[in-house]
Amino acid sequence: MSELKTLISQLENIALNPGKSVAKSVKDTGKEPIGCFPIYTPEEIVYAAGYLPVGMWGGKTEIKQADKYLQSFCCSIMRSNIEYGMKGTYDGLKAVIIPTFCDTLKCVCENWKTAVPQVPVITVVYPQNRLLDAGYQYLVTEFNRIKDEIEKLKGEKISSKNMEKSFSIYENYREAMRSFVKVVKDYPITINTRTRHLIIKAAYFMDKKDYTDIIIQIVNELKNSSAENFNGIRVVATGLIGEPVELLNIFVENNIAVVADDFAQESRQFRVQARNKGTAIEKMAYRIVDQKGCTFLYEEVKTKGQMLIDMVKESKAQAVVVVMMKFCDPEEFDYPIIKEEIEKADIPMLYIETDMQMDSYEQIRTRVQSFAEMLG
Amino acid sequence: MENKITSKQMLGELLEKHYKSAIEAKANGKMVAWATSICPQELLETMDIDVVYPENHAAAIGARKCAPEFIEQSEGKGYSSDICSYARVNMGYADIQFSEAENIPMPDLLFCCSNICNTVIKWYENLAKNLGIPLIMFDMPFNHTYEVPEYSVKYMRSQIEYAIKKLEEITGKKFDFDNFAEVMKLSNETCEWWKKATDLAVNIPSPLKGFDMFNYMALIVCMRGKKEGKELYKLWYEELKEKSEKGIGPFRDQEEKYRVMWDGIACWPNLSVTYKTLKKYGINMVTSTYPESWNVRYETNDLDGMARAYSSNYANRNLEYDVQNVSKLVRDFKLDGIIYHSNRSCKLMDFRQYEVQRRVEEETGVPSVIFDGDQTDPRIFSEAQYETRIQALVEMMENNKKAGRDK
Amino acid sequence: MYLGIDIGSSSSKAALINENKELVATDLINMGTGTKGPDETISNVLRLAKISRENIAFTVATGYGRVTFSGADSQITEISCHAKGVSFMMKGVRTIIDIGGQDAKVIKVGNDGKVKNFVMNEKCAAGTGRFLEVMARVLGCKIDELSDLADKSTTDISISSVCTVFAESEVISRLASGAAIEDVARGAHLSIAKRIVGMCSRVGYEPVIAMTGGVALNSNIVKVLSNELESSVITAPHTQAAGAIGAALFAYEKGI
Repeated sequence: MSELKTLISQLENIALNPGKSVAKSVKDTGKEPIGCFPIYTPEEIVYAAGYLPVGMWGGKTEIKQADKYLQSFCCSIMRSNIEYGMKGTYDGLKAVIIPTFCDTLKCVCENWKTAVPQVPVITVVYPQNRLLDAGYQYLVTEFNRIKDEIEKLKGEKISSKNMEKSFSIYENYREAMRSFVKVVKDYPITINTRTRHLIIKAAYFMDKKDYTDIIIQIVNELKNSSAENFNGIRVVATGLIGEPVELLNIFVENNIAVVADDFAQESRQFRVQARNKGTAIEKMAYRIVDQKGCTFLYEEVKTKGQMLIDMVKESKAQAVVVVMMKFCDPEEFDYPIIKEEIEKADIPMLYIETDMQMDSYEQIRTRVQSFAEMLG
Repeated sequence: MENKITSKQMLGELLEKHYKSAIEAKANGKMVAWATSICPQELLETMDIDVVYPENHAAAIGARKCAPEFIEQSEGKGYSSDICSYARVNMGYADIQFSEAENIPMPDLLFCCSNICNTVIKWYENLAKNLGIPLIMFDMPFNHTYEVPEYSVKYMRSQIEYAIKKLEEITGKKFDFDNFAEVMKLSNETCEWWKKATDLAVNIPSPLKGFDMFNYMALIVCMRGKKEGKELYKLWYEELKEKSEKGIGPFRDQEEKYRVMWDGIACWPNLSVTYKTLKKYGINMVTSTYPESWNVRYETNDLDGMARAYSSNYANRNLEYDVQNVSKLVRDFKLDGIIYHSNRSCKLMDFRQYEVQRRVEEETGVPSVIFDGDQTDPRIFSEAQYETRIQALVEMMENNKKAGRDK
Repeated sequence: MYLGIDIGSSSSKAALINENKELVATDLINMGTGTKGPDETISNVLRLAKISRENIAFTVATGYGRVTFSGADSQITEISCHAKGVSFMMKGVRTIIDIGGQDAKVIKVGNDGKVKNFVMNEKCAAGTGRFLEVMARVLGCKIDELSDLADKSTTDISISSVCTVFAESEVISRLASGAAIEDVARGAHLSIAKRIVGMCSRVGYEPVIAMTGGVALNSNIVKVLSNELESSVITAPHTQAAGAIGAALFAYEKGI
């Protein structure tokens, strides 16, 4: 068990100290880092080229310079990223990849070119009509274009062997994560909501191969002990990102455990299993085609509400928690739809609005505690 | 008895006809579609489907100060007050289905094109879910490069072909390509007259009062593919041309002292006060990004060209294009200043505005101001704040003029 | 005896319940968390009941100051406490509107007085008591004079700005252009009511609707809210102490 504790705290520390962790990963692997913005970026290509893909999901920082480009009603993750970029935090990055899943990302990408000229930007546009063959073809072309750009950066071609190898490292990572989230729901005391989030987040600052090894160990260690007897409240969480961490502390204080999630930063990254056929790039494109219930990928008939209801049943949860990143338009559009469906299914739901720069948690504490009292 | 109709009368009549005939069509069992403002309406027109435009309808509701009822309905269902107010008004309308301002029939089909924003994708996705009707989506990838890339054109062209197939399935009718060619030709002609009319504002004084453009705009959205639309803009062009030749300016009782561009959508609930404040200082809004927005031009039967034209909307272009586009307007229209509307509803326009403002100023030296407002939600705009900013702009423009005179 | 204490941002309230589950005393002091308000209101309520601290079997704290207050055996949120307190005093209540200084909440309650669902205002003073304070200041009146003023209103005025700061400047310019202060007062009430109605819709409100908190003493707001909701809103008895009473009832259940 003590081995397990060490592994867990190792990953927690990595997630809590992104700057240091990335520096260490760079040193340990000898790879140069490339920043990857939310929601999806073709990390496999970055990895295949011998770069270290690093997640860029914002952080808490005082917004001073970013106001030069973005109004106050802009998503706080993007304001943070521009702020960090302008103040030089990202100067060690070889480049950043910014996908444009929403109107804000389109603008952030365009602003980046001027605001952070020292870090080159590679843009990616994901097709929304991804179920049409033309959409899939477009994405394959787009990924190949990214590959060209990264090759130019590197000054050498990425061999198809390296592409395949990288893809299978990522598939192993995703498979390990699917098994991780499945197993940890039986250990909500050892892997509480905060720990669960931090462990998953650590992947963004490490070499995926090293990270996967630790996850597999954690899962095996956990399986050695019997399922934990948890008398708190089990919930399914959805939203862009389950942060800030202070919010998760409040969940832990109130004995609420996330037993399954639909966070863009967490399960949406790995819940889709790749198809068997095709080249690595084609399989990457198919993973986007096959994604369901993601706020940022168009569906002719929205499936998220029912998906969450099914998740509640499968994970034997009691409720749904919506963690809303303030000013995230796409998530804000989804909310009334899922709200109606979840209410119809008679599943209690808690709605919490957060942003990266939050520093007062009193109202949230009241909401979470009231919710726990209501269900308890 | 020669009683020639003016373009203003014609505009009023056509608008009334537009809404009335849609309601009649629905009553007679004809198929009705809701569509986004700069979508390839040619396809729907060819299929003889009646189309109404929720953005225009929301603007009409906003202009008649009827938006709060619908906004409250949407927010009551859980929509955040941060999202696009056109969407909030329209989704509220989809529930209430009646407004004293203007009514539209409920749709049988949704037709959405992402060349104006990704927000419409979410909005229409929700409508489709709530109404349980088919949705045809045109995804037009944002152009981070100056020009539209060819592989993007290919993707969009395929979507046009797919949409035709879908329309045939939904209507049970064959798509008539001869008719399609006619509609394409007509739509291009309407756009051409629209552009020619609005371009007359380059003259000094401008025969066009820019806020009129906000009104005339309604039909370049709604009747682009109809011959009445073309006639309207041709007539408008002729009137403006005559005015210009006679040297008549925009205001009857006042001179055109300053020429400005308005960036962004109008503040519909505050249309009158935003206009009057400008007029008070002799400011005429001579242009905006709108004339070019509906200058959707391509060769008849060239589907690639059609895709490229629709994807080339300025909202779908990179920052470099925005800067060049606005700077060109400054030069062509001999602008004295620019008013940027930081429109709480439209993140896509807002989050590029600061940088566009800086670079256009660098490139042209023309002063500008940004004010806070919203296209339909009356809770954002502050009259006092607006006037202070306009006054500050006037002072800057006057300094420039004075410096010019002193030279 | 069982003590409930509700420590808010600008006031502290206490209530005592006896062994027969009867309300014995309530008290209110206009000093909130971080002041001597909580201790004073406890002293007052003890004096009213003629008992001393040793006679208290169990204490429950609620309100924003509940977490930092050290003199309680347990702490429960004001959401649960308002539901508990109001259901104890009034039968058949299904929806509770509580407008406090910093927060507004709408709570849906079941037959048993338990919370079924709730919503709270977002991080913004619109729709809270703070908004009224600002309005009263601009109108140059006391906050408890707003109700009578608004009752005299003859013309509908809407204050459209959601932001308290903007609303303030909007009101100033309305007054400057000759609007009657009675109409502006009512306009401010309407503006709050509209925010609350939105929250009511989100929670899925049903009658009977009760209102608690200091703002419930403003009878004009209660009237305006009833109009907007098209359903009558009743001010709860001991309206400001409802949370403290609920806390005392929880103390009774836990202590017995």
